Amino acid sequence: MTEKKIKNIFIAGPVTADFIGKSIQNHSSKKDIGGHSIFLGQIRADKIDGKEVAAIEYTCYEEMANEKMHEIREAIFAKYNLTCMHVYHSLGKVATGEISLFVFTSSKHRKAAINACEELVENIKSSLPIWGKELFTNETYQWKENK
Amino acid sequence: MKVHIMLFGQLADITGVDKITVENTLDTDSMVKSLQNTYPSLTQSTFVIAVDKKIISANTLLTDQCTVALLPPFSGG
Repeated sequence: MTEKKIKNIFIAGPVTADFIGKSIQNHSSKKDIGGHSIFLGQIRADKIDGKEVAAIEYTCYEEMANEKMHEIREAIFAKYNLTCMHVYHSLGKVATGEISLFVFTSSKHRKAAINACEELVENIKSSLPIWGKELFTNETYQWKENK
Repeated sequence: MKVHIMLFGQLADITGVDKITVENTLDTDSMVKSLQNTYPSLTQSTFVIAVDKKIISANTLLTDQCTVALLPPFSGG
C-alpha cells in the first residue's frame, strides 16, 4: 500500500492522550489488522549544569520535513507489509511530561508493525529538519541536539 | 539573479535573521563565505545546506529564485 499525497505531520502543541485514543479507535473498523505498534516521545526534565528543562519549543522547515517524511513513508511501506502508518510531531511549546512525537503502525501480524515503527522513529530523529529549543525553569534556554 | 536564504534553529538565533534574499551569488560555497562575512558567528556553527529542499554534499551552482536553507543539527522527536 502506498499513499501518494504529501501529508502534514505537524500539530500545534502537545499530542494529547485524547488524540492518541481516538487514533486507536479509528482503526477498529479495519478488521484485517492484527497488531499495532505505537511510539510516544515524551519531554524529559533533563538536568543540565544545574538547570532543569521545563519544556521544549519545536520549530521546523515544514515543507522540507513533510516532503522528507513522504519519502520515508514510501520506503517503509515498500519494505514492510503494513496496513497503516501515522506520524504526528508537535510544533511550538511542549512541557515536560507531555508527548511531542506519535508514531503509529499497524499490520496483519505484529513483527511488521513493531519493526516499521522502530525504523520510522530512528529516521524521524535523524532525517527530519526539526529543531528543539530546551527551555529551562530559570527562563534560559539551549538548542537540543539528537544523540 | 535572486537567491532566497533561510536560516533555522540556533542559526536564526545567533544571526537574528531567518530569511534573506541575496543577489548575484554564484554557488553555495561563495554564498556561505559571504554570509559568514556578514554574520561572523556562523563560522563557528555546524550546519548542512539544502538547495530547494534537497541536502547537498558539495559546492552547488545556484539558479535564479532558488531557496537555500542552512540547517543546524536536527533535534526532532
